[in-house]
Amino acid sequence: MDVPAVKRTPLHIVRTSLISRGMKLLIAFILVLGAVMLYLLSTASANTALFAADLRMLLLLGVGLVLVLMALVGYQLLALRRRLKARLFGAKLTLRMVLLFALVALLPGALVYAVSVQFLNKSIESWFDVRVEKALEGGLALGRTTLDNMLRELAREAESMAVVLDEATPGQRARVLNNLREQGGLAEVAIFTSEGSPLAFASADAGALMPEPLPAAAARQVLLQQSYRQVRQESGEGLTLVVVVPLNTADGTLALQLTQPVAAPLAQDMSTVQTLYQDYQEISLARGGLKRLYGLSLTLSLLLALLSALVLAIVFSERLSAPLVLLAAGTRAVAQGDFSLRHPVRSHDELGVLTESFNTMTRQLADARATALGNQKQLEAANAYLETILAKLSAGVLSFDQDRRLRSANPSASEILGVDLNTLLKVRVDDWQARAPQLRDAAEAMRAAIVEARPELWEKQLEIKEDGKVLLLRGSALQVGSDLGFVVVFDDITRLLQAQRYAAWGEVARRLAHEIKNPLTPIQLSAERLEHRLRDKLQTADALMLTRSTQTIVSQVSQLKGMVDAFSQYARTPEMQLQNLDLNQLVRDVLALYEGHKPVMALALDDALPPVLGDAARLRQVIHNLLQNAEQAVASTTAARILVRTALESGNALLEVVDNGPGFPPEMLARAFEPYVTTKSKGTGLGLAIVKKIIEEHNGSIQLSNAGLAGAQVRIRLPLAAASVHSLPTPGSARVG
Amino acid sequence: MHDQPGLRLALRVCAAAVMLWLLCAVALAEGISIKSAELTHTDGGYTLEARYDIDLSPTLEDALVRGLTLTFVSEFELVYPRWWTLNFWNKKLVEREAAYRLSYNALTRQYRLALGGFHQSFDNVEQALAVLGRVRFNPAVEDDDVEPGSVYIANVRLRLDTGKLPKPLQLDAIGSRDWNLASEWYRWTFQP
Repeated sequence: MDVPAVKRTPLHIVRTSLISRGMKLLIAFILVLGAVMLYLLSTASANTALFAADLRMLLLLGVGLVLVLMALVGYQLLALRRRLKARLFGAKLTLRMVLLFALVALLPGALVYAVSVQFLNKSIESWFDVRVEKALEGGLALGRTTLDNMLRELAREAESMAVVLDEATPGQRARVLNNLREQGGLAEVAIFTSEGSPLAFASADAGALMPEPLPAAAARQVLLQQSYRQVRQESGEGLTLVVVVPLNTADGTLALQLTQPVAAPLAQDMSTVQTLYQDYQEISLARGGLKRLYGLSLTLSLLLALLSALVLAIVFSERLSAPLVLLAAGTRAVAQGDFSLRHPVRSHDELGVLTESFNTMTRQLADARATALGNQKQLEAANAYLETILAKLSAGVLSFDQDRRLRSANPSASEILGVDLNTLLKVRVDDWQARAPQLRDAAEAMRAAIVEARPELWEKQLEIKEDGKVLLLRGSALQVGSDLGFVVVFDDITRLLQAQRYAAWGEVARRLAHEIKNPLTPIQLSAERLEHRLRDKLQTADALMLTRSTQTIVSQVSQLKGMVDAFSQYARTPEMQLQNLDLNQLVRDVLALYEGHKPVMALALDDALPPVLGDAARLRQVIHNLLQNAEQAVASTTAARILVRTALESGNALLEVVDNGPGFPPEMLARAFEPYVTTKSKGTGLGLAIVKKIIEEHNGSIQLSNAGLAGAQVRIRLPLAAASVHSLPTPGSARVG
Repeated sequence: MHDQPGLRLALRVCAAAVMLWLLCAVALAEGISIKSAELTHTDGGYTLEARYDIDLSPTLEDALVRGLTLTFVSEFELVYPRWWTLNFWNKKLVEREAAYRLSYNALTRQYRLALGGFHQSFDNVEQALAVLGRVRFNPAVEDDDVEPGSVYIANVRLRLDTGKLPKPLQLDAIGSRDWNLASEWYRWTFQP
């Protein structure tokens, strides 16, 4: 993939979410607990029996919840702060929303709280009315006074009874007691000893049990000769009046106890008043506590509500800003070239739509980039294809920009021109000469052609003097978009021209040979017949002349025949027989034929020369031709000398023949290889042409020069056997005719 | 008047601290203290007899006179000491609890002490507290509950049950010495 290496996953952003799943559960739990607690608190302050004993626990729980919530909010705010400091995307938005939510929760909450507290205090105070209190106290006092009066009445009655009973003997006591009880309309009358144990009693209730012993306090009062009064509260609302007075009989002090129940309606009323009074007192006692309890409940509610709102605010802010954070991460990823990030669409609101659009955009971008990549690849492939073709092309292709700077060159161009054109890239063709002198002709020709024949197609043949190459240049202006450029295509047509020349000469030679050969035989035969017929008829002198002339004709004809055969040989060469040859051995073989000749042939053979691949017969002919030429060249030279040398030179075998003859005339040097170009008065002019042809068939090269002041130098380079196997042209390919 | 607010605040804090300390000292004089406690063997078990001095704070006495019912709880525990848990998780063999309700009748001007269905009236609070201060569990420990020769720890205390107070007063009672009336746990070793 071509996705850029920068791949900061947005995962860490998502993971540092303020609220984890556990946290959410905790928050939910706390909120439910808080709601339950508030409900219980409200019922508890209503003073029901439910959870009556656990008010303290309830309050502690409330305070604990508030603390936990505070810790939670603090933790979340800290986390938010961290995110803000880290400049995480979305943190500011979250903060703003949290503040907004908090404000929205705080203002009404605080208002309701303030009003409630005020209202609460006022309403609690309004319960306590001085008049009500006075009325209740009055009612209670009234009851007490009534009871006191009734007790006093009863005490007076007891005193009078005591006077009557004082007189009575112990035996009469029970009867007198009952009479007195009936007279006074009393419930029970009893006599106790001074220690408090009952002696006698009379009761309205027939089934009544013996009365309880006197209370210690009563007994003490009696001993002090004082009366004892008490209101006893029976179970329920019944009230009973009890009065004990001393009874001083002859046999000591006794105690008389009168018991009388208070009338039931009265007792009930008094009890009601007392209960109300107590309730009122209780409430007034609890006034401060009530205010505090309600205030505390309200405060706890407020705090719980506010903190819950804050916690929820943070949760919701997080939820609201989460898609934005994801989008931001996505945008960043897209900016970095990563189109793989797609976000699931969770909500159906605008944010969802936004996310969806973003996903669509990302997908389209990804598609577009894929298409672009595909196109680029295709283009590259096409370019590579074109380049391969250009590289394989034997023709040299150069392209120039508007200012004639080299833009591109294919390998064949470098090869043909013999210069690495890559070093000349971006160099104006005008300046090539300075950089590479051997390009002088080519550069000048191209420059001139480009300058002169701007838009048209041009064609030019160019001969490079240095190495005798002939190039065919073709060029044209090149319009690529708004860029103007030039393209030059050139071929090395040296060989083609040569081949054409050879072919032409071959044809001429063949025809000439044919045309010449045809009349030769009749000429010879006619001459011989003439001699034969006329020899006897002529006189001696004439006959002698005839014979001599005839011989001349015959010899000249046969010489002509040899010449024609040479022509034919040049035109029609048999196929080459390639084999590994020892060039030195070949030289020695040929030199053996020249033993005893006048000019001395010096040998300088390199024994380490590897074998070359070649046709022995032809190479022998080459050596033969060269030696013959040299021999003829030095014929008129005194102290003639011919040197034959072999050597290994830059991967090729070198064969050199040097003589100290007159050398090549300058005008000859360029055209020495063309047939019928010769310096000799006698000769076919085919020697060097054949040599050149054979050497070229061997993929070698030949170079003529004048060795110093006098003498010619012929240098032949032949590829070595091992190196030439592959580059050798197929046999006969260069054959002409 | 150019008071220095800082100085004034400091003085106030000092005054408050002194007052708090004085209150604490007064509160220490009040409360419930144990005079004696013992387990005596009677037929079939052991009877607990404990005596406390009970001194109501003025707040409590006022509340009582204004009609509030005060509930006192007398508690007794017999534990088997476990030295290997460093006595943290001792085994509770016996737990007994009795709730006394002390109230005042404004109409009859009598104090009333009730234990379950039984009640007794007193003309003044001292008498009522004297009776309340004599706690008796019979039997506190059955013979079957304990093994003769073993060593047990007996704990006893008397306290005002603030949980039985009306809710608003409970709030007052939280952390207030005036309302929290309780004797320390009194411990002694008991060997049947």
